[in-house]
Amino acid sequence: MKYLRLLAAFFRVSIMGELAYRANFFWQLFQSLLSLAISLVGLGIIFSYTDTLGGWRPDEILALVGVYFLVGGIIGLVIQPGMEQFIDSVRDGTLDFTLTKPEDAQLIVSIQRVEIWELINIGLGLGVLVFALIRLGENVGVLEAGMFILMLIAGALIIYSFFLILATLSFWFVRVENILVIFQSMYEAGRWPVSLYPGWLRYGLTFIIPVAFATTVPAEALTGRLTWEILLGAVAIAAVMLIVSRLFWRVGLRHYSGTSA
Amino acid sequence: METRKRAVDGKQKATSPAIHIKDLRKVYIVSRQEAGTRAALQGLVQRRRLEIPAVDGISFDLAPGEIVGFLGPNGAGKTTTLKMLSGLLHPTAGEVTVLGYIPWKRERAFLRQITLVMGQRNQLVWDIPALHSFELNRAIYRIPQEDYRRILDELTELLELGPLLNKPVRNLSLGERMKCEIAAALLHRPSVVFLDEPTIGLDVTMQRRIRAFISEYNRRFGATVLLTSHYMADVEALCRRVVVIHHGRLLFDGDLSRLVQKFTAHKTIIVQLGDSRADLRSYGEVVSYADGRFTLRVPKAKTARVTERLLADLPVIDLLVEDPPIEEVIERVFAQENP
Amino acid sequence: MKALAELYAQQFKTTLAMMFQYRASLVIWMIGQVLEPLVYLIVWSVVSVSSGGSVGGYTTGDFAAYFIVLMLVNQFTYTWIMHEFEYRVREGNLSFALLKPVHPIHSDIADNVSSKLITLPIMILIAAGLALAFHASLSPTLWAVALFIPALLLAFIVRFLLEWTLALAAFWTTRVSAINQSYFLLMLFLSGQMAPLTLLPYPVQVVAGTLPFRWMIGFPVELLLGRLSLAEALQGLGIQAVWVLAGFVLLRIVWRAGVKVYSAVGA
Repeated sequence: MKYLRLLAAFFRVSIMGELAYRANFFWQLFQSLLSLAISLVGLGIIFSYTDTLGGWRPDEILALVGVYFLVGGIIGLVIQPGMEQFIDSVRDGTLDFTLTKPEDAQLIVSIQRVEIWELINIGLGLGVLVFALIRLGENVGVLEAGMFILMLIAGALIIYSFFLILATLSFWFVRVENILVIFQSMYEAGRWPVSLYPGWLRYGLTFIIPVAFATTVPAEALTGRLTWEILLGAVAIAAVMLIVSRLFWRVGLRHYSGTSA
Repeated sequence: METRKRAVDGKQKATSPAIHIKDLRKVYIVSRQEAGTRAALQGLVQRRRLEIPAVDGISFDLAPGEIVGFLGPNGAGKTTTLKMLSGLLHPTAGEVTVLGYIPWKRERAFLRQITLVMGQRNQLVWDIPALHSFELNRAIYRIPQEDYRRILDELTELLELGPLLNKPVRNLSLGERMKCEIAAALLHRPSVVFLDEPTIGLDVTMQRRIRAFISEYNRRFGATVLLTSHYMADVEALCRRVVVIHHGRLLFDGDLSRLVQKFTAHKTIIVQLGDSRADLRSYGEVVSYADGRFTLRVPKAKTARVTERLLADLPVIDLLVEDPPIEEVIERVFAQENP
Repeated sequence: MKALAELYAQQFKTTLAMMFQYRASLVIWMIGQVLEPLVYLIVWSVVSVSSGGSVGGYTTGDFAAYFIVLMLVNQFTYTWIMHEFEYRVREGNLSFALLKPVHPIHSDIADNVSSKLITLPIMILIAAGLALAFHASLSPTLWAVALFIPALLLAFIVRFLLEWTLALAAFWTTRVSAINQSYFLLMLFLSGQMAPLTLLPYPVQVVAGTLPFRWMIGFPVELLLGRLSLAEALQGLGIQAVWVLAGFVLLRIVWRAGVKVYSAVGA
C-alpha cells in the first residue's frame, strides 16, 4: 500500500512540474497523433494490397497497433524515465542521496520519475484498442480479455526487469548512457507480429530483447492465438526475470557501495 | 558611419585604445507573464513587454596590454558587456570597438585576435583528450606548426598541463579542465583576452594558480586582459585598475588601491548576546538586529578595540568578525556616489 | 583552401577518436539503422508472397533489393545535425562556435563525412549479407549505375543543407525535438522508406513529388533499381540540382537571421 502512496507522490510532483508548461501538452498531443496517423496510414496502404498479413486480419493488426502504443506509453511513463535517471545518478553521484533514503533503493529508483505526457500515448493506444475490439466483436470474450490483461502485466514485468538489468550494468560500466536506446530501436519491430520475422530475428526479439512479450503476446491473447504454452511461458519468464534482475541489482549495489569512497 | 581604424605606425598603436566603449547600452525585452488563470487569459490577448536594461550606458577604454578587473555582483551586466565586446551580442545603443573592429560584425580578422573564456562552460570536446581539441583550434585559427609547438610548450609550462593533455576531458577535475580550457583559448595568441568568471567554482589553490598564470601571461605577451569576477580576491591579485558595475551602470573606474581603501574601510562584527535588550550604539553603527543578534559596522582600525570591549562588557554568546560582503559594499559605494 | 583542408583533416581525427569512445552506442545505433528497413522489407515480402509473388510491380526479390539499397542510401545521406544543434543551444555551446573565425558548418560536414567513412563499409557488408539472405534481385543497367553516383551525392547535399537549415530552428524555439520528430515521421512516409513511392495512393505521390524528401532518399534508390527511364532519371537529377540551389539560398538566409536573433537576446 505504501508503495502506491509513494508512486502517487512521484506522480503528483511530475504533474505539478509539467503543468507549468501547458503548451507542452498540445505539442505532445500533436506528436503522438502524428505518429499514430502515420502508423495507421501505413497500415492502410499495406492492406490495400492484401487481406491478411501472415494470417493476421486488418482489425487484428489494428489491435496490435493499439497494444504497441499502450505498452510503449506504459514503458515511457514509469519504466524508462526512472531507469534513465538512475543511470545518470550513478555517473554524477546523486545516487548516494537515494541510497540514504529509508526506502528500498530499487523501489525508489524504479518509480522516481514519471513522464506524465506518456499518458497521451496510453490513451491513444487504449482508444485504438477499443476500436479494434469493437470491430473484432464476438471474437473477444471474457477469457480473452482476462488473458490479455495477464499477458500485459507479464509483458510489463518482463520489460521492467530487462530495463533494470541493463541499468544495473552502469554500476560497473560508467558509460552506458545510451544502452536503453537499444530497446527503443528494437521496439520498432514490435509494430508487426513477431511471427512475420525469420527465425533468428524472432528468437532475438523474444529471448534477447523481449519486444515480443511487450506487443505480440498480449495481442495474441486478444485475437485468440494464445496457446497455453506461451501463456505459462510468459508468466514463468516474468517471475524468473523479476527474481534474476533483483539479485543482479543487489550484487551491483554491493559492488557500488564497496568500491565508492 | 564607423570606419575601421587599423594601427599602422607605433605612435598610433600607443595612443589608440585596444578597447573603446562609449555610452554602451543593452536592453532586453521580456514579456512578463503573471501567475494565476486570470492573468494567463489576459496574457493570451496582450503580453506586457518590459524593457530590462542589462547594460545602461557605460563608457571606458582599455589601453593595449592593460589588465583590468570588471567587478560587480551577479546580474550587474558584466557578462553582457563581455558578450558585446566579443561580438556575441548586438548592442542596443552606444559605441564599441575592439582593436579598431566593430565586434558584432564578426569579421574573421577580428575573431582571430580575440578570445573569450567562460568559467564553467566548455569548448573542449568532452570525451577525448584536450590535445585533440587543441589541434582542432590550431586548424581553425590557422596557426603555423612551429608557432603552435612553441606556444603549446609555453602554455604547458605555465599551466602545468603535462599529464593532463592526454586524458579525456571528462576525466579531469574542474580545475584541471579550466586550465585546459584557458590553454585552448590562448593557442592562437590573441591580443585581447576576455575572461568571464574564470575562477568560479574552483578551489582556493587552483584559483591562485590561475590568477598567477593570467598575471604572468599578461606580463610576458602584453595581451590586453579584461577579467570579470565577483570575487574580490581575483581582482586584488591581478589588476591595478578596476571597473565596478552595478545594475548596468559604472560605479567606479580607477586604481585598485583607491577602491580597496574605500571598500574595506570598515569591518562587520556579528555578535550574539544573551541579553537581547542591550544597546550597542556606542560600539559602532548598528546595521541590523534580530533576536539578540546584532550586526555592527566599525572602522577597520577600531575592530580589535571594539571586539575587546564587547567581550568584556557584555554577555557574548558568539562573535564573528568579517569583511562586508561585496554586494553590500557595492550598494554602499552606489549610495556614496549618489548622495 | 589549404587551411580548410587542414581543418577537415583535424576534424576527421577528432571524429574518429569520438567514435572509438562511443563504439558501443555506435553499434546500437547501426543495429537500429539496419532494423528499420529490414522490418519493412519483411512486411512487404510477406504481402508480396501472399499475393502471388508480386505487388504493385515489385516482386519479392525486388522488395528485398529496394529496401537494402534504401538502407545504404539512407546511411549515405544521413545527418544528426538537428539533434546536435538542440544540444548545442541547450548547453550554451553555440557561443563558442560563433567566436571562431570559421563558419560552423565546416566542422559539421567534416564530422558527418568522417564518421561515414567508418560506418559505410560495415553497412555495405551487412547489406551484402542481407541481399543473399533475402534473395534480392538487382541487375542495374550501366547507365543506371553511372547516374546513381551523382544522384547519391546530390541527395546527400540536399539532405545536409536542408537539415542543417532546419536545425537552426534552435535559434528561435526550444521545441526542436518536436520539430525533429515530425520531420522524421513525414520523411518516413514521403521519402520512400515505408514503401516504394509508386505504391502510395496517387495524391500522396503528387505531394511527395513537390517535397524534397524523395530527392534525398527515394530517387537514387529507384534509379539504381532500374525503375526509371533515362529521361526520368535525368529530369530527377535536374530537380535535385534545383533543390541544392534552394538549400544554399535558404541556408544563408536562415543562418543570417538566426545569428541576428541570437545576438539580440544572447544565450
